[in-house]
Amino acid sequence: MTSVVFIVDDDLALREALQSLLRSVGHVVEAFECTRDLLEHRQRLADAVGCLVLDVRLPGQSGLDLQRQLVADGILLPIVFITGHGDVPMSVAAMKAGAIEFLTKPFRDQDLLDAVHRALELDSDRRAAATALAALRGRFDSLTAREREVMALVAAGQMNKQIAAELELAEVTVKVHRAQVMAKMQARSLPELVRMADRLSADGRNV
Amino acid sequence: MLVSNSPPNRDQKFFALGVIAVLLGAMLLVAPFARNRLEGSEPMVLAYTAAVFTTEMITAALLLSLFAVQRSPAILVLAIAYLYSGFMAVPWALSFPTVLASLGLAEAGQQTTASIAAMRRIGCPLFLLAYAMLRGAREVPAGRLVPALIVGSIAAVAAVVAGVTWIILGNHDLLPRFVDDSRRITHVWMYVPVVALVLYAVLIVLLGLLGRSVLDLCLLVVICALTIDLFLLSFVSAGLQFSVGWWAGRLYSLTAASVILILLLAEAASLSARLARSAAAERRANEDRLVTLQAFSAAVAHEINQPLASMVTNADAGLRWLAREQPDVHEASAALTRIARDGHRAGKVVEGIRTTFSRRGEDHAQLNINQLIRDVLDCYRDECRAAHVVMQTDLDADLPWVPGNRVQIEQVIANLVTNAIDAMRSVTSGERVLLVRSTAMSAGEVIVSVADSGIGLPPEHADRLFQPFFTTKPNGLGVGLTVSRLILDAHGGRLWASENAPRGAVFHFALPCDGSPAALAKEPVR
Repeated sequence: MTSVVFIVDDDLALREALQSLLRSVGHVVEAFECTRDLLEHRQRLADAVGCLVLDVRLPGQSGLDLQRQLVADGILLPIVFITGHGDVPMSVAAMKAGAIEFLTKPFRDQDLLDAVHRALELDSDRRAAATALAALRGRFDSLTAREREVMALVAAGQMNKQIAAELELAEVTVKVHRAQVMAKMQARSLPELVRMADRLSADGRNV
Repeated sequence: MLVSNSPPNRDQKFFALGVIAVLLGAMLLVAPFARNRLEGSEPMVLAYTAAVFTTEMITAALLLSLFAVQRSPAILVLAIAYLYSGFMAVPWALSFPTVLASLGLAEAGQQTTASIAAMRRIGCPLFLLAYAMLRGAREVPAGRLVPALIVGSIAAVAAVVAGVTWIILGNHDLLPRFVDDSRRITHVWMYVPVVALVLYAVLIVLLGLLGRSVLDLCLLVVICALTIDLFLLSFVSAGLQFSVGWWAGRLYSLTAASVILILLLAEAASLSARLARSAAAERRANEDRLVTLQAFSAAVAHEINQPLASMVTNADAGLRWLAREQPDVHEASAALTRIARDGHRAGKVVEGIRTTFSRRGEDHAQLNINQLIRDVLDCYRDECRAAHVVMQTDLDADLPWVPGNRVQIEQVIANLVTNAIDAMRSVTSGERVLLVRSTAMSAGEVIVSVADSGIGLPPEHADRLFQPFFTTKPNGLGVGLTVSRLILDAHGGRLWASENAPRGAVFHFALPCDGSPAALAKEPVR
């Protein structure tokens, strides 16, 4: 999937310059004059791997306001801020709210390109992790109640015999359940199953 | 302008007349009892003399310090009158028999006290007459002459009083018989009040009818008090020492001594209040100017920075398009086109600033540069006084008219004067002199130079002097000289700096003029 760099800057000249610079190194760029124009493409913001190059001072909603709104809406697009006159408190606020970088105009092209690169990498990693977790969750949901009980005890490090005693089952039945769990979770080894259990419990599942 | 120099208003005149009326009324009240002798009151003479002496010495000191600033000969003579009166009070008090006895000294001649009193009574109005005559006289030139005059006056008055006293003490027999053996005044004494009253009458005319200032009005009250004193003493109480009338005369005399002191103290108080107020106003105006300049430079910075940022980014983009494995000339030339466009945009911003400063036409007028200099210096008088800076001007009387924007040229002069004063603040040795000079040049230019005796121009700063935002002041913004140069550029003028001898700096600016020299004299001065 190709990544997209979104730009919001009210100055047409700078918008064109940024587009040209980012395209020259092979980025796909979409530029907007104000945050309202950007938010009309809300779905693309949520779906595409991308990042946002955002001017702080904008007509209407400011860049910092947009950052807050996106976080509140659950759109975790990494943001690179650019500003004509950045002061320290402003940049601290932006960075605390999760900005990748805070650049003062005129900036060095390499600084901007590095920041955009980092932002895209972060977004792509974040999306990959989210996809993997969703798949894991789907596999866990396919287990029966009994299989989940067995998985929890296996992940806790118990022997088959102990599990049988705990669940009042025959040891051979436990072995069958255990094989089912390994197959359904697509775990190739016991340590891998333990890691999956860890990640699921971090996600709030009762493993 | 000092209160003592300003003409009195209606209220002040009424107040003075009221005081005189009260003094006259008190005299009428005292008159019936004037000859009653107050037994045992003689030692009080020392206390009375101490009060008069102290009051008159403080008044003289204040008048001398006023003279040091105003350098008016009339004020000096007035100070001398108070010095003379105060000094003469000492031998007068000491010549009383009981006082001499209490000090263990031999009794003086019978005529001593009366002779000293006569010298004092005739001398004081003579000095006041000199004051009235000298009111319009030209100022004494500033410099060493002023302290010399002050010290010389004090020494001369002291010497005269000592000499007169010595002559009176050493020549008992030659003194006129002012009093008889029972210490009553004789007909000889009568010459004294008559001469004095004639002098007082002249003074009342000069100061009352022809009075010009609050100081004159107060002196009128003084003369009236002295007249009543003399009248009570010589005619009502018949010169009977230590009688009710005599003591009432002493009180009038003390009142006379205090009037000017009260005026000067009130003036000092109101002056310091006004000074504080005007200093505060000046500080506020400076802060306002600074805030305006800060807002202005922030706006300019943003307007210039925006095209600058896109030029840099376009240049970077163009380089990257060309550095690709297959250089994209089309994209690169598009980037170059945008750079040119942004350059023009930045140029327009600069052009806009320039026209703001030059706006030829409607607000350009023919300027009298000398008058502009005087107006600006008037605004800085208090600040100069506070910074102990002596302000001097050397203005060319034949200066031609100069076309220009009045507010802007004033701003340039004010910037240079502010810099000059600030440059002298840290100088601790030598005089602090601010000299503003105007010169008409034959080349159709007027040159104004502002010279100071401050820290001068450190060579390492010489080339950065006119750069924007360069400053050596802790709270400076560094735009004063930049703005000045912008204004002068817009007027077709020039601005430059040089060293002053023996120390300090001179800033010069030249403005082109199109009038013929001496044109100023013919046209009405605005």
